[in-house]
Amino acid sequence: MLPTPYVKCDYSKVYEPSEDSFLLLDALEEDKQYLQQKFQNQLAVVCELGPGSGIVTTFLMQNEIPIKNSLYFAVDINPWALETTLDTAKRNSCEKYFMDPVRSSLCSSFRNNEIDLLVFNPPYVPAEEVPLIPKSKEYIDEWLDLALLGGKDGMDVTQIVLDNLNQTLSTKGIAYILFCARNKPEEVVKLMKKKYNWDSKLIVHRKAGWEVLSVYRFYKDI
Amino acid sequence: MKFLTTNFLKCSVRTCDTSNDSFPLQYDGSKCELVQDESIELNPEFLLNILDRVDWDAVLSVAADLGNTTLPPNKPVFSSTSVDELNEDEQAVLRDLHVLLVQTNIVEGEMKCKNCGHIYYIKNSIPNLLLPPHLA
Repeated sequence: MLPTPYVKCDYSKVYEPSEDSFLLLDALEEDKQYLQQKFQNQLAVVCELGPGSGIVTTFLMQNEIPIKNSLYFAVDINPWALETTLDTAKRNSCEKYFMDPVRSSLCSSFRNNEIDLLVFNPPYVPAEEVPLIPKSKEYIDEWLDLALLGGKDGMDVTQIVLDNLNQTLSTKGIAYILFCARNKPEEVVKLMKKKYNWDSKLIVHRKAGWEVLSVYRFYKDI
Repeated sequence: MKFLTTNFLKCSVRTCDTSNDSFPLQYDGSKCELVQDESIELNPEFLLNILDRVDWDAVLSVAADLGNTTLPPNKPVFSSTSVDELNEDEQAVLRDLHVLLVQTNIVEGEMKCKNCGHIYYIKNSIPNLLLPPHLA
């Protein structure tokens, strides 16, 4: 088993690493060799959306996933998450890796077709709507809601990312996205094939309390 | 934010996507504070991989914004992809590129989209590309 980053931060401001975060780490560990082969001898541009505490991006750096020569971008709306991600990277002696946090709404500020590996643990909890962006950095509870609530079927935010995958990812690009059962992932992946010709593979799934969580890999074999 | 990151960031405004002016952003040299950060060591193989990927015109544009007009007009080419076979001049170029692309941090600053004119800020090394609600 690969080492897990040491995380110590204020969980009133950022999402505390939980079953879903750990499942995502397991999926990336499971696919470590696949990713290494896919990107060997080149540069890999990695982007994590919604890093929260920074545990996933730090895990990727620590374990040189997908490859040693990677650039890491951690993208979040929540300013606390970006500061915490930097801090978590530091606590785990990852300063020697290339990582920049970027405050942005999903991938809207990234040049099209430049990201090789996209990782996303989205706000997947079904809710009436996705909360608005808090007006101030100090409205701490509102920032946390934003990390959880995903609107109808919990899919409002994830669907934006999926619908933009063709523009976001490079020709070799791969995405790992976490779902809960109420997101109806089996239907989502079928539609991704039909609408955009994205293949997908269920990498890991696990019952976590009353939720069933799964991580799918989206890819195109070329 | 590291200099190299400027090679990946564009204007967030959706309608700017169809314009060639939304990338790279235009950095305001008079308002950008640069700090050298040496925590990432020179790894020639990594840098050669990076060079494969970078948009050199965008590197030139941002470097000029920040007051550096000494870069070669064309992307440097190297005689070998194996580091040991590079000559001394090439190794010196790699060192310079490492200092520029990887070790130069913009810790405070602002930049704007050459298409729509929207201004973005960098604070505490973190660029903020979030749009106000009326533009999002």
